[in-house]
Amino acid sequence: MADIALKSTGINKVFHDAVNLQVLKNISIEVKKGEFVSIVGKSGCGKSTLLYVLSTMDTDYEGSLEIAGTTVTGKTLNELARIRNESIGFVFQFHYLLPDFTCLKNVMIPALRLGKLSTKEVEARAYEKLKMFGVEDQALKKANKLSGGQQQRVAIARALINDPTIIMGDEPTGNLDSKNTGIVFDLFQKLTKEFGQTIITVTHDEDFAKKSDRIIEMADGEIKSHG
Amino acid sequence: MKISVNTEIALTYLSARKKQTAIAAMGVMFGISMFIFMQSLMKGTNDYFEKMSFNSTPHIRLYSENKVADNHMLKSYLKDPSVKILTNPKQLIQTQGLNNPYGLIREIQHNPQVANVTPQVTADVIYTSGSVQINGNVAGVNIDAEDKMFDVQSNMVTGDLHDLNRVNNGLLIGKGIADKLSLHVGDNITVTAGTGSPTIMRVVGIFATTVKQVDETKSYANIVQAQNLLGKDRSYVTDIKINIKDYNNAPQVAKELETITGYKAEDWVQANEQLKAAFKIRAVILNSVIGVILLVAGFGIYNILNMTIYEKIKEIAILKAQGFSGPAVTSIFLQQAIYIGIMGGLVGITCGFGITYMVSRIYIGAGTLKYLPMSFYIPHYIEAVCFGILTTVAAGFFPARKASKVDPVTIIRG
Repeated sequence: MADIALKSTGINKVFHDAVNLQVLKNISIEVKKGEFVSIVGKSGCGKSTLLYVLSTMDTDYEGSLEIAGTTVTGKTLNELARIRNESIGFVFQFHYLLPDFTCLKNVMIPALRLGKLSTKEVEARAYEKLKMFGVEDQALKKANKLSGGQQQRVAIARALINDPTIIMGDEPTGNLDSKNTGIVFDLFQKLTKEFGQTIITVTHDEDFAKKSDRIIEMADGEIKSHG
Repeated sequence: MKISVNTEIALTYLSARKKQTAIAAMGVMFGISMFIFMQSLMKGTNDYFEKMSFNSTPHIRLYSENKVADNHMLKSYLKDPSVKILTNPKQLIQTQGLNNPYGLIREIQHNPQVANVTPQVTADVIYTSGSVQINGNVAGVNIDAEDKMFDVQSNMVTGDLHDLNRVNNGLLIGKGIADKLSLHVGDNITVTAGTGSPTIMRVVGIFATTVKQVDETKSYANIVQAQNLLGKDRSYVTDIKINIKDYNNAPQVAKELETITGYKAEDWVQANEQLKAAFKIRAVILNSVIGVILLVAGFGIYNILNMTIYEKIKEIAILKAQGFSGPAVTSIFLQQAIYIGIMGGLVGITCGFGITYMVSRIYIGAGTLKYLPMSFYIPHYIEAVCFGILTTVAAGFFPARKASKVDPVTIIRG
């Protein structure tokens, strides 16, 4: 089906610490294109672990994962890096901007890595994204000179620079006050409604989750409800 | 040219930590400037000693050597196919001196590699002044040719070496002889060769080489005088001294001459084996010092890059999350090492040249050596840069590989 953005089939993951602990049990989910999905659950239920498996960064799992109709399970690390670069954007709880670079450069770097556009075009796009989040006047400042809310907005702009099919958030509003949380939520909604991008976030924020299109609830490594 | 994003990140990291970058580059700089300085000193010294040895030794010396008896006379006498064995063969006395020396000289001059040829008569003598006698040897030479080949003029202390051509019975003596017999220019000296009668000669000049043994025994006379001392005729020549265009070819040319003339041709390498050994020992010492310096510089770079990676581990993780592959991350950090190497290399070349130049102006004043011999030899500079960059790449490789193996999930999740 063409309108499936992400599909996982029977994903199992075991942590091999002192005792073998199965953190993910037979997880099969489907996320449609343009959907805004929240994954909720108690701490330690495996929701972040699931997100990192879905993001292709964690390759130590059983089962299979498809992104935009392509099976990514079993690809080499370098191929996965390319897939992340092109079709997945990340927003983390912390902004993780590179402090030595300006905000503009931070936003540009993933696109420069992709190398599809010239530096000039990338710069224009980066400005456009920063404008969307109302931080274009901070563009030439070093990333560590901004306030927390501004930094998070720059980080989201960075996640969007390559127009990824899927945007993944690991508690993207975890460090923000309610006002900034509102701004981020509205932007996410706009992205799904107007640009047809898919958003999958892990969150503790119930209000945030309730407003999204669908809530996937997890407990003890299993999916309790697909929403 | 479009700068790749890896390069851009590498350069930003370097310029964000200018102090550390500068310190790392300084390590390389010291390594490279020391490399250049030491190589220049070594080559300068070696060249100097080589030149010094050519002040007394020709590239090739042709002389007659006694031979061990072999069975060819026996063969031509018996004229049968039996195998002849000589037990306990003895040395055969050859006629002293070379047969037809001027014919040989003409022959040798035809060799295209040969630059200068001059005959010499060597006589073992006893110098007498008053009641004191010392042993020594007289080199009967054509002083103009000798000066051209060995730069006798540069060793002269007093007197004029050209007086050998003008003054009958003139003699140039070493400084050691002059001191021992308390002789000055213009004094008379009695010279006795083993087979000839005592001759009174006049000191026309005194020379000093850096070799004490030479100064205490050697003197120069006109070749005709030396022949007279020995009571020999004008065709008597004991040695033919040959300088060739490229002294590195001496062993090979010597072999050719030996085959053509049938006499022993000794090249300067054979005559100066201790010099060659000294070159080799010096090379080992200096190369180990240079090696250690570059190793230390390499560790400096390794350390600094390792620290950078610890500090930036979250940033590396985030770059990987955004789709930077392992090789891209390796390239970012390896490039940092290379730029440090290039910076250190360029400054190191300049410093190395500066140090070499300054040291070459230090007055030493030992013997004929006035200033420290330093060579300014371009390949040293090229070698230095290559070694420097090689060291930095080797030092940067391991941290860079470590960075490329950073697992973004463990770092980001903490």
